[in-house]
Amino acid sequence: MALSAVLGLLPGRRVVRIGVTGLARAGKTSFLTSLAANLLAVGAGLPALPALGARLGRRGLHVAIAPAGAQMLPRFDYLSHLAALAADPPSWPARTGAVSLLSLDLEIGHEGLAARLPPQRIRLEFLDYPGEWLLDLPLLGQSFADWSAATLRRLQAWPQAREFLAFTGGLPTGAKADEALASTGTALYRAALRGLRDEAGLAMLQPGRFLMLAPGPEPPWGSFFPMTGGGALAGLLRARYDEYVRAVERDLAAPSFASVDRLVVLADVLSALHAGPAAFDDASVALSAVAQALRWRRLPAFLPSWIARVLPVGGISRVAFAATKADHVAARQRGNLAALIGAMIRQPADAAEAAFALAAVRCTEDVVWTLEGHPVSAVRGRTLGAERAAKSYPGEVPDELPDADFWAHPFLALPDFEPMQLKLGGRGGVPQINLDGLLAFLLEDLL
Amino acid sequence: MTGDRIAPRFEYEDQPSARLEPEILPEPDEPRAGIGSVSLILGGAVVLLLGLALLDVANFVGDQFQRAEWLGWLTLGVAAVGFGLIGMAFWRELRGLFSLRRVDHLRRRLADPATMRQAAHAWLAMLPEGQSVLAAIDTANDPDAILALLRAGPGETLRLQAQALGRVAAGQVLAAASVMPSAGLDGVLVAWRGTRLVQQVAALHGLRPGLLGTLALLRRVATSAATVAATDLAVDATMRALLTGPLAQLAGDMAAAGVAARRMVVLARVTDAACSPLGK
Repeated sequence: MALSAVLGLLPGRRVVRIGVTGLARAGKTSFLTSLAANLLAVGAGLPALPALGARLGRRGLHVAIAPAGAQMLPRFDYLSHLAALAADPPSWPARTGAVSLLSLDLEIGHEGLAARLPPQRIRLEFLDYPGEWLLDLPLLGQSFADWSAATLRRLQAWPQAREFLAFTGGLPTGAKADEALASTGTALYRAALRGLRDEAGLAMLQPGRFLMLAPGPEPPWGSFFPMTGGGALAGLLRARYDEYVRAVERDLAAPSFASVDRLVVLADVLSALHAGPAAFDDASVALSAVAQALRWRRLPAFLPSWIARVLPVGGISRVAFAATKADHVAARQRGNLAALIGAMIRQPADAAEAAFALAAVRCTEDVVWTLEGHPVSAVRGRTLGAERAAKSYPGEVPDELPDADFWAHPFLALPDFEPMQLKLGGRGGVPQINLDGLLAFLLEDLL
Repeated sequence: MTGDRIAPRFEYEDQPSARLEPEILPEPDEPRAGIGSVSLILGGAVVLLLGLALLDVANFVGDQFQRAEWLGWLTLGVAAVGFGLIGMAFWRELRGLFSLRRVDHLRRRLADPATMRQAAHAWLAMLPEGQSVLAAIDTANDPDAILALLRAGPGETLRLQAQALGRVAAGQVLAAASVMPSAGLDGVLVAWRGTRLVQQVAALHGLRPGLLGTLALLRRVATSAATVAATDLAVDATMRALLTGPLAQLAGDMAAAGVAARRMVVLARVTDAACSPLGK
């Protein structure tokens, strides 16, 4: 409190950049839209985020969308996404395909003796960072040969990769560096990745920029695929892979990501439970890879790794891992969901980390449903386009990594519930679950 | 049941259902001012004065009727005119007092996209130059664009006018304070000029507060000062001085004339924010 009072006396505004990333279909756009709407509602004096309000106490909070200025990053289109949620009938915001930035200016007052001091002025910059790109971080420490061997091994189990595997299997040993071969292989590999993401629900798919293209024209080195063995073609693919990895490094050092000092990682764990053990394991591997990648620090490569562990340079100070769509299970199970995503990370923490189960846009209400003579905690909501409400009990959420016994029973797919009605067209806030708790954790040192 | 588990299930209800609404969250507890002891004492005094005077006059009128009918009617006429004028003054005061509530009402309506356009029309109707942006307001579809137009148009004009009034008051305070024979009179000057400035800025916004309205406005300005002029510690001191009356001023110490002048500028800015439906 005393520190924030002193910081308020400093000229200018403290800028805090928070990366928001997530595995495919985790709901990043809804998360950012709800976050902005609720923070603005709190700034207008509405109790939209109770945990944040409790943290603020009697201190005033003023929130405004920051002017875009002359930044290179595109602005997060908060208003059109909010309009989609508030419309009648509502629709979910369209999927975003590139990096964007949501900036909010906060002024936090003081209480007690410091009440007359100038408010603490903070600019929160939420960087919408594609989760697919974050999955490229593990490539930094992997050679082309290792990556190819591991990827080809994983693909064997999936029918979506059959055509690509047939192509690579049929390539002659020592194939020439032919552009037609490289292009065909890349196209087949990309099609396999898309199939694995859309049909099999996999997340750990590399390179991430193959699924979420970077803006601008595609460079020639963006055309490669995993291949074992030697020869000129393998050499060409290796050179392109190495250049790709260098581009990933350059992106990380770019101001947009390098200045991120806290991060939110979203994952649709409930859908992974429905997709089955293979998809769930894949999501676990992806989350672990993300958690591991966050240990990356901006230190010169010649310094030993123990220095990176000791020096708090360029690191991310707070990470919130959140299982989204928590409103699709009853309140009784949300604790299990938070524990489950915590178990999926499986990494020793070197930053402040916390696991949450949240619903950025609440769609359901909790009900007790009598099934087979037993009362069960379930949820009730309307699905998109339907006039009737539906009750859903998708199954029990485990509080640790599921074992074989769990997979012996089905876990239902998540229904496409529609968002609850928004007050004042969304300006009165967006109903949410635990978004306030996550924000209170992320901003704990600022509030 | 499968083993010891209940099988998952998803079922539509038979009847159509309305879209779900979020549960109403409790509004944050706001400290309510209530009626203070001073207000009760003043209210009691007014009731006693007016009530007893009314009873006394009624008795007097009755006596006059007993003396002569024409004398009774004449006394009744005089009493009716006298009390009518007092009643009119009360009505004006109450109207001025309640006009402040209109600002809150407009703020609420401007926050709701459904009523924003009508609220903008209602507010602009109160302002002399409000009509100039009406056409632009009517063509804007985006609620944020409407707010931006209001801020950039009448909001900015009012801010500049309030600023000008503040500068004039600052100049007057500076000039007068330099020739004041005592520091106590400085306080009286600042209190009087500050109150006058608050009334002038309120008039810019179409509010015509009387005595009670001005007192309510001063309270409101003091509240706004915390958020609008938190960078200026002098505001609070000025407002406290205005609210506690000239006696406290006479007893208290006044800052230098330059500080007092600066207070006028900040006071104008804070009053503008307190009177504007756009807020800060």
